[in-house]
Amino acid sequence: MGGPASPAAPGSAVAAAVVAILSQLCGAAFLYAILKADGGWEVTGLLTLLGLGFFLLERYPAMGDFVTASLARVPLVTMATAAIVVLGFPFLVGSNTYILHLLIVAQLYAVLALALNFQLGSANIPNFATGASYGIGAYVSALLALNFGMSFWLTLPIAALAATLFGFIIGVPSMRTRDTYLALVTIAFGVVVQQLLNNFEWTGGPNGLVGIPAPSLFGHSFASPLEVFGWKLPSQANFYYLSAALVVVAIVTAQRLHRSRIGLAWNALRADEIAAKAQGINVAWYKVLAFAVDAFLAAFAGTIYAFYISYISPDNFTFLVSVTIMTMVIVGGMDNIFGVIVGAFLLTILPEKLRAFSDYRLLFFGVVVIGFLMIRPQGLFPQRLRQYGAHR
Amino acid sequence: MSVLLKVDNVTMRFGGLVALNDVTFAIEKGSVLAVIGPNGAGKSTLFNVVTGVYKPSSGRVIFDGVDITGKPPYEVAQRGIGRTFQSSRLFSDLSVLDNVIIGMHTRTKTGVLDALFRPGKSGREMAACVEKAEALLQFGSGDLFEQRYRPAGTLAQADRRRLEIARALASQPKLILLDEPSVGMDDAETDALVADIKRLRSEHPELSVILIEHDMRVVEAFPEHVMCIDYGSRIAEGSFETVRADSRVQEAYLGKAAAHA
Ligand SMILES: Nc1ncnc2c1ncn2[C@@H]1O[C@H](COP(=O)(O)OP(=O)(O)OP(=O)(O)O)[C@@H](O)[C@H]1O
Ligand SMILES: [Mg+2]
Repeated sequence: MGGPASPAAPGSAVAAAVVAILSQLCGAAFLYAILKADGGWEVTGLLTLLGLGFFLLERYPAMGDFVTASLARVPLVTMATAAIVVLGFPFLVGSNTYILHLLIVAQLYAVLALALNFQLGSANIPNFATGASYGIGAYVSALLALNFGMSFWLTLPIAALAATLFGFIIGVPSMRTRDTYLALVTIAFGVVVQQLLNNFEWTGGPNGLVGIPAPSLFGHSFASPLEVFGWKLPSQANFYYLSAALVVVAIVTAQRLHRSRIGLAWNALRADEIAAKAQGINVAWYKVLAFAVDAFLAAFAGTIYAFYISYISPDNFTFLVSVTIMTMVIVGGMDNIFGVIVGAFLLTILPEKLRAFSDYRLLFFGVVVIGFLMIRPQGLFPQRLRQYGAHR
Repeated sequence: MSVLLKVDNVTMRFGGLVALNDVTFAIEKGSVLAVIGPNGAGKSTLFNVVTGVYKPSSGRVIFDGVDITGKPPYEVAQRGIGRTFQSSRLFSDLSVLDNVIIGMHTRTKTGVLDALFRPGKSGREMAACVEKAEALLQFGSGDLFEQRYRPAGTLAQADRRRLEIARALASQPKLILLDEPSVGMDDAETDALVADIKRLRSEHPELSVILIEHDMRVVEAFPEHVMCIDYGSRIAEGSFETVRADSRVQEAYLGKAAAHA
């Protein structure tokens, strides 16, 4: 009767640790393989393997529960393995700057998808303006750096606050609308922001802003190669680690909110607004809050993007960007932190790898996304019920 | 005893339809009021007006000395009115336990900054909620506690009704409104429900209950204060005996049963 109450965790902690380490290494190996894959056959083979994996996971959910329980049983081992994988990846990739670039973009999208997940996943608010918040973060920090010579580290919080303000501004009219209308309101906001960036003179119009200086930390410029213990990593590695740090911040933010009464309130209004109000939940406020948190995190990603690419234009923050982020959340798994990150990585890397199919690239991309949704209708990693105390 | 809820000349119109017509009544602290009346009489509408789901066309609702007419539902809940819905409105994709914990929303305080920067505090608050929620799930009849990690949407009908009551009680309300709690329960389950409500009252003598019921066995169990509504108007009020004997009530509601007797 307990349902998913006591997931089948392995008997001993050692066994759990082995499962935890192996499963993460497998994931990392797969990521490495797909990043290195070249040519249609290799990519197709890897995607088939991935599809098969998710098919088995759908068929035998106990498998997934087993791995999740193992990871949760030995949290220190899990986190240490994850840290080693993330820190070590650039060394594995070596001087391949293209792969590092893909990883940076994937991590920034992971942050954007986690940001949107507060709304779409936790509270079922279809916000099509995440791309706009991302753009506001990028533009505010770039303008501050270019016009006032402000350092990256100072523009980061200011841009985030500016975008949060924007989040409140979209949030307030959105309180009065729902579902389809709400989606339309956010689309309108997104388009307006992009048009304004295009038409203002001080934002550089359609040409955007150029020459955003690279950040530096303790005298080390992010534009110069990174040297660690005699290893020389390309300058992209600086931004790789910076965006990895931001992903960690986003994960911690997401986890802490999810586990608190705020996450519960969002889930409550997602399930039934009228019942949520009857529990004393100020639904309107929690919706606005979701907008604000989304914008805050998206702006961080925008700032890093601007300083990484050093050139931004309105084209980087179109409606299509918002749609992409939304697809990442849906494919990855609504309200599942890990799933959302997987979705972001998959949907960032896939289009690049499908270049091998040249003209049929977009068609193939669509087919793959639909294929995964058919194998896993609830997303690659669907939301899980919260576990408490001994059950965690 | 002092008055807890006072409904004053409340009228609720939906377009041309008068769902409540100048309804007035009051209930005291620690008492039970059973509301009866035929289908479509306006009973659920009365709950919706009291809890702020609808703003009455005219009239006032006074709760605990404060005018709450037209206040938004979340504020009414914060002031101490818990409720259940006629057609259970559970958070069906969340666990049974989470449903009850959400019911404690007004009793918890963690804000965004606390959740982000003081996870220890937020975690302790949540742990305390889990403990209280588990106690609530163990309180009533049935085996909700054993099912606490199931999605609420997969519960059997009787358990859904019990869970809604547990969730409403989680906010430690001063007044709880139960809209046909026995719907979907068999005789044994209904008896257990009556016993639960009685035990609840003896443990919380200050708690007031308003109960909408079609099942006369439940109404009979709380015979002190009964009110009958028909076509939106209060047609009788008093003890179960008086209300049952009232000719207008017999006509409106017990008509067929009385004819049989
Ligand atoms: N939101 C609404 N809009 C229009 N009419 C409504 C609305 N809510 C209720 N009504 C109408 O008001 C009348 C009273 O409905 P209500 O649900 O209060 O009855 P009830 O006494 O609870 O009946 P039942 O015993 O069937 O639950 C009905 O005619 C109903 O159709
Ligand atoms: Mg009703």
